Amino acid sequence: MFSEEHRERSGCRPGPGIGKAAGLLLLSLLVGVAVAQTPESRNTPEAVAPPAPKLRHPSIVLKDADGKNVLHSGKPVSTRQTCGGDCHDYDFITDSFHFQQGKAEMDRELLTKYAVPPYNSSPGMFGKFSLIPNRQLTHAGVQDLSDADMSQPEWLTKCGGCHTGGGISEYDLNGRRLLTAEAKASGPLDPSYTIRNRQTGQVEAWDWAKSGTAEGDCFLCHVPKASRGARRKEMAAGNFRWANNATLSESGIVTKKEDGSFIYDRSAFNADGTVKADILNLSDPTLENCAMCHGFTARNATTIKAIQYADILRGTEKSGWIYNGAKIADTVSPGIVGKEGMNYPWDVHAAKGLICIDCHFSPNNPGRMMHEDAEKNLRYKPVSEDVSIYLKRPDHNFARGNIPPETVNLTRHNTMRGCRDCHVAEKLHAFLPYKSTHFQALTCQTCHIPAVHFWAYRSDDWGFLMDTGTSRISYRGIKGSIVDPDAEVTGYLPAYIPTKDRGGNLQIRPTNLITGVYWFDHTKQRPVFTWQVQQAFFEQRPSESDWTYRPEILKAFADKEGIIDLPQAVYDTPEKIALVRGLLQKYGGVADPELRIDITPWAMSHSTVGKGQAIKECTACHAKKSLLNRPLDLNSALPKGVPVFFAGRRVDVVNFRLPEPSFDNRVLLKSFYIMGQSRVPLVEWMGWLAVAAAALLSLLHGALRLLGGRR
Amino acid sequence: MKTQLYSFHERFWHWLQAAAVLFLIVSGMAIHYPDRFGVLGSMARALQWHTWIGWALAINAFLGIFYHLTAEKYFHFLPRVDDFTEAAVRQVRYYVYGIFKGEAHPLETDPRRKLNPLQKFTYLLLLNILLPLQIVTGVLLWGAERWPVLFAKLGGFWALGPVHTAGAFLFLAFLVGHLYLATTGPTPGALLRAITVGTEVESSSVEAGSAATPTAREAGV
Repeated sequence: MFSEEHRERSGCRPGPGIGKAAGLLLLSLLVGVAVAQTPESRNTPEAVAPPAPKLRHPSIVLKDADGKNVLHSGKPVSTRQTCGGDCHDYDFITDSFHFQQGKAEMDRELLTKYAVPPYNSSPGMFGKFSLIPNRQLTHAGVQDLSDADMSQPEWLTKCGGCHTGGGISEYDLNGRRLLTAEAKASGPLDPSYTIRNRQTGQVEAWDWAKSGTAEGDCFLCHVPKASRGARRKEMAAGNFRWANNATLSESGIVTKKEDGSFIYDRSAFNADGTVKADILNLSDPTLENCAMCHGFTARNATTIKAIQYADILRGTEKSGWIYNGAKIADTVSPGIVGKEGMNYPWDVHAAKGLICIDCHFSPNNPGRMMHEDAEKNLRYKPVSEDVSIYLKRPDHNFARGNIPPETVNLTRHNTMRGCRDCHVAEKLHAFLPYKSTHFQALTCQTCHIPAVHFWAYRSDDWGFLMDTGTSRISYRGIKGSIVDPDAEVTGYLPAYIPTKDRGGNLQIRPTNLITGVYWFDHTKQRPVFTWQVQQAFFEQRPSESDWTYRPEILKAFADKEGIIDLPQAVYDTPEKIALVRGLLQKYGGVADPELRIDITPWAMSHSTVGKGQAIKECTACHAKKSLLNRPLDLNSALPKGVPVFFAGRRVDVVNFRLPEPSFDNRVLLKSFYIMGQSRVPLVEWMGWLAVAAAALLSLLHGALRLLGGRR
Repeated sequence: MKTQLYSFHERFWHWLQAAAVLFLIVSGMAIHYPDRFGVLGSMARALQWHTWIGWALAINAFLGIFYHLTAEKYFHFLPRVDDFTEAAVRQVRYYVYGIFKGEAHPLETDPRRKLNPLQKFTYLLLLNILLPLQIVTGVLLWGAERWPVLFAKLGGFWALGPVHTAGAFLFLAFLVGHLYLATTGPTPGALLRAITVGTEVESSSVEAGSAATPTAREAGV
């Protein structure tokens, strides 16, 4: 327990006290568990467990980087000083994946061990190539301008809205703390200290003194009224030092000034200089906090805001999941086609009151932690760390599942509670023969996410750039634009792929497939950077927004009126591919480019339905036309005759014989024997031949007997 | 005069096995082609029925062995030396030629020799190879989750499933031929009657009708 002296130094006012707070925390967890186990909540489908008694964080002083009250200094809030110091271990917390995003995993041995392609500098978002923006963080120590894509400052301006500061925006790629004497560029192309000028294509120095650094943004997750949108604006503008203040802009604590700085509203503070607890309202991350970055999440929302309002819905975009306790039938907007018959929640867990951290918990949270200790046969150890240790050093490598081929946070895959850590599946599936076989071969999601009722990414085509200088994106499950609240959302049916479970066994699981077309540089063994593709497609640009196709492109692709729109932007002949390949060599400086198709599966774990809507009909899978082999359309403009990569491996999983190029998973599921569907052609042919032969011989013999007038 | 050809035990065993085999073929089709042959409702139900009837057939097969051994009826199934040579040739000749010419059945009846050579070969394969194979693969498929290690060692579903299916096809082919040959008695229904009530047609009427009319035991049923 913390001493009074400790509290004074840390800036926490006694209030309920840490010791008392810890007790309350445990008490609330126990009460929460007890409430969750009442017969009412177990037996009533619509029952939502009432929230546990609210534990209020002590009032705090917002401090600047010098440790002074910002109310007096007017400087940006420093979470290192405010939350860190003697209360929480800031360095320990920000050394976790949520803050590092892979920066702490820039280890060649680790990458090799997990078969991460060598062109990635880390397995996380900060370092790996990602097809959706077709961008990659430039490797440290780069010597050649042609090897530079996205520098650390540019990454922060693009991605720092969500990725919460700390390690990635406080330290350079060599581990030196920025804005300290030791932090210096190691060369003119050092990606921690430069940024590529999109206009000139030249690499220029980044002024860290002007931008400041962004410390870990604790408020983004622990303040219910956090504003990611405001934070994003500051990050995008390179105003890193004020980004954490921007997050508080909707709480009434700060207001932005014209010069980009923020002023503090005294009415939000107590007389002793602490922020009013009910205004800051520090708490465990709510559904809404997680939703800001991870996807649409709400306890009971009848309006699912289109992307232009929600700003970003990454998880939802990738597979269409909606974690929402409201019934689909009650959805007001957008227009869900067929919702009248969907009198059940978007997600059964959300309807039951589960929040994100119930499953994606801090691994050393005494109330939630799990112990996978095979030697001691322990899955849960009730006597664990003192809660004060947890409060001091809460592990922010949150428990997570495994969404292959996603590599982010790969050393922490399968650390969360799985379905069967809560549900006793054997008792709930009396109707199911071969239970163990089904449970081993299928994920729970396979039957419990039978359909997706929202839209999701379908394709992102960087092989041919549109006249906006960027890719062509298409979505599935929607008629109309994703930014139109009145668009008809038809949803889609998932594709099924095998993925490895905790024990390494293959399981069939539902996924969305995002198909990308991109150029790969054989010489450098990495994807071709977007700026190189732009150089191949477009002439020199007089301004940022001016994209003019090269004459060669227009001649080969444009219609009679000289327009290249979606129907024309297609590689329908090998000659067109060869033309762009040549332009990449000529203008992009790419020695040996190759057009590739990449199909990335995005596993589904939310939008789960209960037993009433789950797949129970045997013939859904055990039939010639099994849903497990259902084709999923990929991308109407998919080029033929180019290498196809699925989940990073070269596998031919595209069927071009259907009206739309579609996913063909037969080669992936060939190891699964599915009764009623799997056939051995030799057995089938020989078997029916034997039966037919017996019948024909009998008929022939009988006919001859009749003709002979004999018996 | 009526000759008692099949005892009650033989007839009961035969029809029980016939019903079991027929039901196993139907339920097997419902499992193998669930979307096109859903006569038993759901596939799960077909699987349940298939399992129960499969066990009944296995037990009945065991009781059949017990009966044939203790009642010394197994001699009917044992081929004699000439069954591999002259008798077999004569039987084949009869089926491909003599039967159309109204010739007499090549083999005389003998209480200790109810089956013709071709029947003996067929039943030897059927009862000693195909039926045990189906029972063993069926039990293994049933026990996939009870003895997963053994099941996996034997090739799992991908090996045992197709073998069991192939056996089922052979049973179906046998059934087709069996049903046809059952019509080759004195009248198309005579042999069916014999295996139902146990007695064969009267010797006098056979002789009066046709000298070539075989007894049920001589026909290739």
